[in-house]
Amino acid sequence: MSSPSLTLPSPAPAAARKRRVLEILGALAIAGTYIYLVLNQPADITGGPGSASALIALSGFLVGAILLVVAVLPTLPTSTMVLIPVALVLNIVLGQFVGSTLVPFYLDAIGTVLIAVLAGPAAGAATGALSSIVWSFFNPTVLPFAAGAALIGCLAGLAARYGLFRRFYLAPVAGFLTGIIGGVVSAPVAAFVFGGTSGVATGAIVSAFRSMGDTLLAAITKQALISDPMDKAIVFAAVAVLVYALPRRASLQFPFVRRHRVLAGKAPEQGS
Amino acid sequence: MRLHPLTSLAVAGSTAVITTAAASWPLSLAVIAAAVGLSALGGTLRPLLPAAAAVLVPLCLSLLVLHGLFFPEGVSVLAQWGPARVTTEGLSFALQRAAQLSAAVLALLVFSFSVNVPDLVAALPAKGIQGRVAFVLASTLTLMPAAASRLQRIRQAQEARGLVIRRGLLHRMAAFRLQAVPLVSALVEEAGTRGSALDARGFGSTGPRTSYREVPDRPLERLLRTFLLLAAVVAVAARLWQAGG
Repeated sequence: MSSPSLTLPSPAPAAARKRRVLEILGALAIAGTYIYLVLNQPADITGGPGSASALIALSGFLVGAILLVVAVLPTLPTSTMVLIPVALVLNIVLGQFVGSTLVPFYLDAIGTVLIAVLAGPAAGAATGALSSIVWSFFNPTVLPFAAGAALIGCLAGLAARYGLFRRFYLAPVAGFLTGIIGGVVSAPVAAFVFGGTSGVATGAIVSAFRSMGDTLLAAITKQALISDPMDKAIVFAAVAVLVYALPRRASLQFPFVRRHRVLAGKAPEQGS
Repeated sequence: MRLHPLTSLAVAGSTAVITTAAASWPLSLAVIAAAVGLSALGGTLRPLLPAAAAVLVPLCLSLLVLHGLFFPEGVSVLAQWGPARVTTEGLSFALQRAAQLSAAVLALLVFSFSVNVPDLVAALPAKGIQGRVAFVLASTLTLMPAAASRLQRIRQAQEARGLVIRRGLLHRMAAFRLQAVPLVSALVEEAGTRGSALDARGFGSTGPRTSYREVPDRPLERLLRTFLLLAAVVAVAARLWQAGG
């Protein structure tokens, strides 16, 4: 159902090049913002709210996430497009439930990781960013984390691409590593935009580090390094359970799963 | 008078940006009051308040505990228990941040609770990137109640087959699996069917589109939107310039 159209002209190479440029610009905006914030360690973080660093963190990460969405979304086949709302619903339904309880986890990426495993890193990145944008309809505080969510989706897709979902015990390991990277990138958003964390349990962990005299960014980064790897390991393991429970007909409808033999089991015939 | 959905989005977004950039107590409080007042006028206060509380109460509590008790940079100590020190600087930082975030969150929530979603989707072009974003937004908002009611039916079915959620991590994980697997397989299966149906109706094609729903847009509102966007950009630029210079 997602085979390339035989009657319509394929997209021009110029359009493909433009999208590639947008993708690179988006990634550069995210990386540049992060490097700026960490290198400068703006001293005004506790000097007064609404500091310039909050605006830089917000705009840099948001612009990067939007550029990624603009670059990736038009290239996705319909079979992936219809799965994005499903992923968003899973993220929101499961994340809304966990986010406010007294567990220092979020579990708000199950849908994003699921789509990344089925449809690849680009689809995962777009889903992560879109998930934050659409979720902010109900909870505007998740909007600044769009870049972090896109990164998680992209890394999950790469893990699937290189066969880490073929063995069940490798999925949580990939999740753990993804969580380290994702947590470190998201920490400046929590620090500069919110001046803390949005949950009570995560806030308690940050308080513990603050009481030892850490700066806010260091405390939140350490908290993220405690919560995020465990969180993502759980999410990746849950997604592995879900993907293997899907009927093979459903999972093999995705070209990414067929081409890169994402799941264990007999390789399907090429071109099926 | 009913505003064009993009106009109200521009109002909410620029309010949130300008409040963050200005970072002044009185403005934050004024925006909070105006947001609550507007939503009371529009009759959306009853659904809005629980949603806002679900977001803001944990956030503000976390900020108060974090900065109220532990603020190593604080100088004037009000009270002290062991490592926890209540400082004036910490309390005022927490309260300012809380007011500013509440203002931005409330402004955006007033928009999402008052906007007519079909109007918003119709206001976005049906083609290209914006069409795809509109599809994702509309599809998610309609799928959410359906998925929630389906999850409830799955739970009832599993309970009828003897599912009892007992204490302990392993039991909880088993219960999660029993409910999540049927939900996800059903949703993915349905998405596949929907994908073929949409493809057959030209979802991926690039030709011209017609819409059954027209959202009136006044030239004055177009002007207002441009003005609001400019104001937000100017506010951010002014704040950055002030910080740099």
